[in-house]
Amino acid sequence: MKRNPTLNGLLRHFSLTLQLNFRSPQALIYGYLVPVFFLLAFGSVFRADTPPLLNQMGQLLTISLLGGACFGLPTALVAERERGVWRRYRLLPVPTGSLVLGTLLARLVIVGTAVALQIFLARVIYGTPLPLHPAQTVAAFLCVALPFLGLGLLVAALADDVPAVQALGQCLFLPMIMIGGVGVPLVILPLWAQRVAGFMPGRYAVDVLQRCFTDPQGLPGAGFSLFALVVIGAAAGVAGSMLFRWDAGRRMNRSALGWVAVALLAWLAVGLTAAATGRLLTVALPVAAYESITDEQADQITYEDLPGDNEIVSRLAPPFLPAGEAPFVDEFSAKLAAWPPGRDPSPGQSVRHLLSVAAIADISEDIHEGEIARIVFDKLQTRHKHTELRRILAWVILHPGEGTVITQAPELGLRRHPPESVVRERSALYARKYLGRLLGKIHD
Amino acid sequence: MSPPLPASIRVGDLTKSYGPVPAVDGVSFEVAPGEIFGLLGLNGAGKTTILECLLGLREPDKGLITLNGIDARAQPREARRRVGAQLQFAALQDKITPRQALELFASFYPEAAQPVRLLEQFNLSAKTDAPFDSLSGGQRQRLFLALALVNDPQVLVLDEPTAGLDPGSRRELHRLITDLKSAGRTVLLSTHYLEEAHQLCDRIGILHEGRLVATATPAALIASARAVPRLTFRSTRPLDADRLATLPGVVSHEAQGDGWSLGTKDVNRSISALVQRLESSGNEMLDLQIHRPSLEDVFLELTGRTWQDARPEGSDET
Repeated sequence: MKRNPTLNGLLRHFSLTLQLNFRSPQALIYGYLVPVFFLLAFGSVFRADTPPLLNQMGQLLTISLLGGACFGLPTALVAERERGVWRRYRLLPVPTGSLVLGTLLARLVIVGTAVALQIFLARVIYGTPLPLHPAQTVAAFLCVALPFLGLGLLVAALADDVPAVQALGQCLFLPMIMIGGVGVPLVILPLWAQRVAGFMPGRYAVDVLQRCFTDPQGLPGAGFSLFALVVIGAAAGVAGSMLFRWDAGRRMNRSALGWVAVALLAWLAVGLTAAATGRLLTVALPVAAYESITDEQADQITYEDLPGDNEIVSRLAPPFLPAGEAPFVDEFSAKLAAWPPGRDPSPGQSVRHLLSVAAIADISEDIHEGEIARIVFDKLQTRHKHTELRRILAWVILHPGEGTVITQAPELGLRRHPPESVVRERSALYARKYLGRLLGKIHD
Repeated sequence: MSPPLPASIRVGDLTKSYGPVPAVDGVSFEVAPGEIFGLLGLNGAGKTTILECLLGLREPDKGLITLNGIDARAQPREARRRVGAQLQFAALQDKITPRQALELFASFYPEAAQPVRLLEQFNLSAKTDAPFDSLSGGQRQRLFLALALVNDPQVLVLDEPTAGLDPGSRRELHRLITDLKSAGRTVLLSTHYLEEAHQLCDRIGILHEGRLVATATPAALIASARAVPRLTFRSTRPLDADRLATLPGVVSHEAQGDGWSLGTKDVNRSISALVQRLESSGNEMLDLQIHRPSLEDVFLELTGRTWQDARPEGSDET
């Protein structure tokens, strides 16, 4: 069979670029150690969140992608060009695109493995949940990585040498980190910075990636962000390809400015479109989701089909006798009172976490499952006002997939680790039992 | 009588300017199959620009370039597929090994030479898996020469293949290039080493300020020189300049340090007469050297510049 030299060469070049990358200590430090450092830095700040780091994963992964694209790719390309490697490649009888594509694919793998490493280590070190939508996360990664690699290609074309790559890369990296919603969350940026961020791809990258971790709807809700990334990435990629230089001796001519303008105009177009379509509105800390639940919605919840309190699923012990007569109850109640997830500053999350405890005990068929469910109910009533608790329980019932749940609590003696979906389903069941009692529709 | 073989390389009226500065000005030459043709010139003469235009690295302003019958300007990729090249300013990644480099470059051609055989041919077997940054200058140049042969080309373009090498490595490269000619390949090389051009090339084209000022075999170039052999000598006692001018065959004379330099059209008769003249006056010859015309003289006549004055820094040619 006759081989296809373009494809064959592309694959060989891709594979060799990867191999050489893994032989370079410097490339390994920048490619993998720095992302891990960023993970630990974020972890040290957000480890107290529940669950830790979950709401920062979009930012964290965007930083890694930006670093790999704005620094890693152009540094490698320009260093090779300065040495004369690309000058020698130029003599090969293949299209420019196949050689550049091999380099881009290798960089995609390097950045992809660094991002996967971050997700894995976040899970192992901090217990950060994995993405809600794994397949969509891969798609989101590509949607973010490809535009950023286009920017990297443009930086490589514009920079005459490696120090110039650092300077140009910082011009992209620092603004996005500081005021682009990548390093510093949008909600704590001043209003002007929030608006400026709408002109930068970093904000849209964070949005696309974060949705894969926390938004039950996932990527379908990120239409504009995906559009912005495609526009900015395509403009940068085309400009970078047109300005591609094989030889360090070739300097840019004036026509290069036109292509740079094309790349920058894409940022402007995205920002103006966002402004015109009302997408540059101020981002504020989100109102608790349960607050949007109305009394009418709560009243429509039914209780007839609930399992009985002594049945296998969702057992619930009767109200306790005076304290002191049930040592387990006192002991578990004390542990639960000190349990950090149950003290989440967000009332909605606090309730969801406590409901998770009842759910895990029930799924685990714990010997005290009924008592634990009763302790949780008592705890909820002492911690929350009646009206607030009603709304939160209705929110859990009506939106079981929202917020976060706990799936294991060995510190409470609950050793099993049931699937999150089952915990959510059982939490909603207990929420109905509790709400029914609060509203007087179920008698204890 | 069979018709002459078509030229492997044909360059016609090649012109290239960098802004207002002409780098190559109407250069034309042909290289026959199996021939080694050398472009000889100082730095900035236009050698590299011509080779880069041939290889498609630079777009000429005008001119014809055919490589193995292919119009290199109209079909640059096809031309590259059939030509092997080694560049003066090129390198490989620090950690790539000769085996990896050969396998990579071979993968871009539909039919390619076996990397293992090239490693053997260029005496790199011991360095097969050594990183590029650990290779000596000579080993690197041999690797680049091997890379130029991965597509088994009939035509090779080599830009200053021995620049910066020590004499031993240069001799080794000369042997390898001669082997290429023996294998029937056509070689176009550029050099700023007179000795290399003389020793390696079947024909030489002398470039000066972007123009090809002469093209011939080394012997024909030297034979065409207006320069005559020169005798340089010293004697124990001073000599009368007027008497030296009357020696048979002598056409010029000039003092050189504490001796003399005589231009002569008849070396034997001039030496014989000089010795007799010294003996008759009780003088004695301390030393005598004969300088035959060389490429350097040809270069001086054609360009008005001496090679010694203009040779590049770092050149170790004497």
